[in-house]
Amino acid sequence: MTFALPGRLGPWAADQLSGLVPLLLPLAALAAAGLIRRAHARAGETQPWLDAAVVALTLVPLAVVVAWPALLLPARAALAAGLSVALLAHDPRDLPQTEVALKIMWVLAAAFALSWTGDALLAIASGSARAREQWPALALALDPYALWSSALSLSLMAGLVLLGGAPFHFWPGDLFHGARAHVAPFVAATLQLAGAAWLLRHLDGITAFNEAAALVRSLLTLAAAAALAGGAATLGYQSRPERRVGALVSLQGGLVLASLAAAPSREPFADHGGLALWAGHLLLASMGATLLSRFLPAAAGPEERASVLFRRHPWSGAAGGYALLSLAGAPGTPGMYLWLDVARTLALNRRPGLLFGVTLAWLAAFGVAAFEIRRAFGAPDGTPPPSRAVPRSLRVALWTSCSSLVVLLWAWHSRRSG
Amino acid sequence: MGLPRLRVPTSYAGAACAILGVVLLMLPGLVWAALGLELVALAFWLWARSLPDRAEQLSRWGWLRRPPTALWLAAALFLALPELRLVFAPVATGPSGGPFSPPTFVPTPLPLARDPMLFLRTVASLAVLWAGLEPMAALPLSRPFPDLTGPARPVGPWLTAILPVTGFLVLWRQAAVWTAAPLTREIAGLALMIAIVLSALRAYSRRSLTATLRWLVVYDSALASLLVARDVVHGEIAALLWLGSAGGRLIALAAELRGQAARRGANLTRLWRLAGWLAGSSLAWPLLADAGFSEHRFHPVEFFVLAAPVLLASALWLNRVVEAPERRSMVRREDRVPRVSRLGAVATLLAGPASLAWARSQGWSVTSTAGLVAAIPALLAWWPLRRLLPAPETRQAARENAAGGPRDFALSTFRAVTVIERQGAAAIATVARALGAPARDLHSGDAQEYLLFLVGVAVLALLLPLLR
Repeated sequence: MTFALPGRLGPWAADQLSGLVPLLLPLAALAAAGLIRRAHARAGETQPWLDAAVVALTLVPLAVVVAWPALLLPARAALAAGLSVALLAHDPRDLPQTEVALKIMWVLAAAFALSWTGDALLAIASGSARAREQWPALALALDPYALWSSALSLSLMAGLVLLGGAPFHFWPGDLFHGARAHVAPFVAATLQLAGAAWLLRHLDGITAFNEAAALVRSLLTLAAAAALAGGAATLGYQSRPERRVGALVSLQGGLVLASLAAAPSREPFADHGGLALWAGHLLLASMGATLLSRFLPAAAGPEERASVLFRRHPWSGAAGGYALLSLAGAPGTPGMYLWLDVARTLALNRRPGLLFGVTLAWLAAFGVAAFEIRRAFGAPDGTPPPSRAVPRSLRVALWTSCSSLVVLLWAWHSRRSG
Repeated sequence: MGLPRLRVPTSYAGAACAILGVVLLMLPGLVWAALGLELVALAFWLWARSLPDRAEQLSRWGWLRRPPTALWLAAALFLALPELRLVFAPVATGPSGGPFSPPTFVPTPLPLARDPMLFLRTVASLAVLWAGLEPMAALPLSRPFPDLTGPARPVGPWLTAILPVTGFLVLWRQAAVWTAAPLTREIAGLALMIAIVLSALRAYSRRSLTATLRWLVVYDSALASLLVARDVVHGEIAALLWLGSAGGRLIALAAELRGQAARRGANLTRLWRLAGWLAGSSLAWPLLADAGFSEHRFHPVEFFVLAAPVLLASALWLNRVVEAPERRSMVRREDRVPRVSRLGAVATLLAGPASLAWARSQGWSVTSTAGLVAAIPALLAWWPLRRLLPAPETRQAARENAAGGPRDFALSTFRAVTVIERQGAAAIATVARALGAPARDLHSGDAQEYLLFLVGVAVLALLLPLLR
């Protein structure tokens, strides 16, 4: 998948860069993850290199998946989800992260079982296991409506769960609350990408059977509406900053659902590099945002003093704030283009109800992110800044995600103006 | 070697943000306007967080993020769908048949038609309208803010008065966006009329001149916005009329905080009294003429609803701007404040009539009957009603023990309206919380519950296709 980058660079440079953008984003995220891992290395680890190697070896395939989502056939999506769970569970001493792995595995196993049941029923009804061949066969109306409609609904369940939109928004919240900062964004991006790929593969060629397309549109509209409204409503209720990042990530799943509800057979965000760049943005924005959230007080009011990061290194804090704002789709960030892309898709496909949901979710996300950043800057109380600095590698990680997002913004902006 | 840290004092950073914000609001683009309002909100936040009572100040000015968010929403809609700009644009269906017969235009469609573009364009217009009305104290949620001093200590009483300025700038510069949609003019007209009445009442019920002047800036901004909403004169002329009237009050407010400089000496006081009255009357006059006598007939309700606050505000200005008692034994020769104050008064005096002359040269006209009747409320303020208003009492004890009368009526009317509005908003919030509480309680964080959710959604997915 390439991404056209017109501009003043000259044809050769533009061609080279257009192919590199989807690759550069996961690479930058890998670099940021390495920096965070280095800063968070435990003092008492007996074999730190082994743990780092295990993590690195697992993160690289996840980064490859993010760069080339076309690889994600349904079976590989399940494999990627399994790898993500294994990554979360690899360290039994890390109890919160292991608990998250258990919770996600618990739900995903059941979701995959339901979806595979649906797949099997669809194969029985249509006589083929390939989605593209199933719809023309079902269009012959040889099978009862109850059979194929139930099978189709069930087959989409894994995709809905993996995308993490409400009511399945619990896993992004748990993930960003319980998992470590360099692991959670990779797992979230991989799982959500797997969900999007799952749905896209299952809806491949569905326009050949109008009744099925109409049914899918209704189901996805309902799912998107629940994801957007539920995500917007729960965003304000989240008690911890990490969980707020999780709620913002779940809204990204809602965006994919809304886009698919409007045009089920079209790849979401096609005007902005498709799922590859969406996942790359999600990876980097959630990396910066979750790292920032570790420095934020859980329950302090806006009138209390700033956290250590903002008192010692306010510009690094601002870099993290940019990532958080991008995740929320605030103006002036690359995330804004993704929200606008979905809004445009919905308007052009005449879905004002869902567009209203996107608007509501955007207002909530932007408002909460802006409030969070104000809270992070706190209020000056005259006391000197703490003597202990925030590790340099963490600050570099924040700047890495921020600068990569700025590059993405430039790329999208130049494409739009070109 | 560490680099020296650049630390900008919060007051300067806030002032820079506020000035830049107001400058950006004068640019035509929606994004600039949103950025401008965001910067003004940022300025208030910067000032508020640096004060000792920061908790109270931050919560007091927290609403200032709402107007820029509304503008961002409108800007985002136009960014996502550039074709929205064409939705309510009049479309010519044929060429004009000569210099005296204009081309025929297709009437604008209603927003309730099934085309989502119409709905979205109306949402964008309403968002801009919200962003303009709220900083002007014309919406219920932020109505009483001009009663409060701003969060920067030395200029706090003056600072609050720039918020209606931002509201008017939004409505004036973005008029093409919000006036095009159906019903927005009517909504704006209603909200602004209520704001005009309430701000005049509140200005009257406040005893301190600084608070009265703040409310009069709200009153002027609402009057000028109504001129824009009703398209009485060109936007630039409405802005100049507003500049003369509200600008004069802002200068007077600043002078009041600098040793009552606008009221030092009998001549200067008289000059200010005349200047403020003339500027205010110039602003109200075309509006009263249009509201009362549009479509060649008299509209008594609209006329009297607007005439009463015009009379009250004019009388207030004439009554409250009285010579300040001179406590200094000797005035410093290098004191330039009286000279600057005189210059401000002359500018205020000339702005209104000059704007009206410009409007006339641009083709705006008013019938003699409408012109005469529209001038009556402002003229009545000189005599005899002005004498009915109690003279301002400077002593604190006397202020507190003064009898109420009409002032009590104004105060209780304003309070009743704001209490009703606040209770309405609280009732809506309570209902929303009550509806949201069960959804919140659904989620306990237990892993078993996740599986139950999944099973529930799966059952729903099985049933929904059968129920279609």
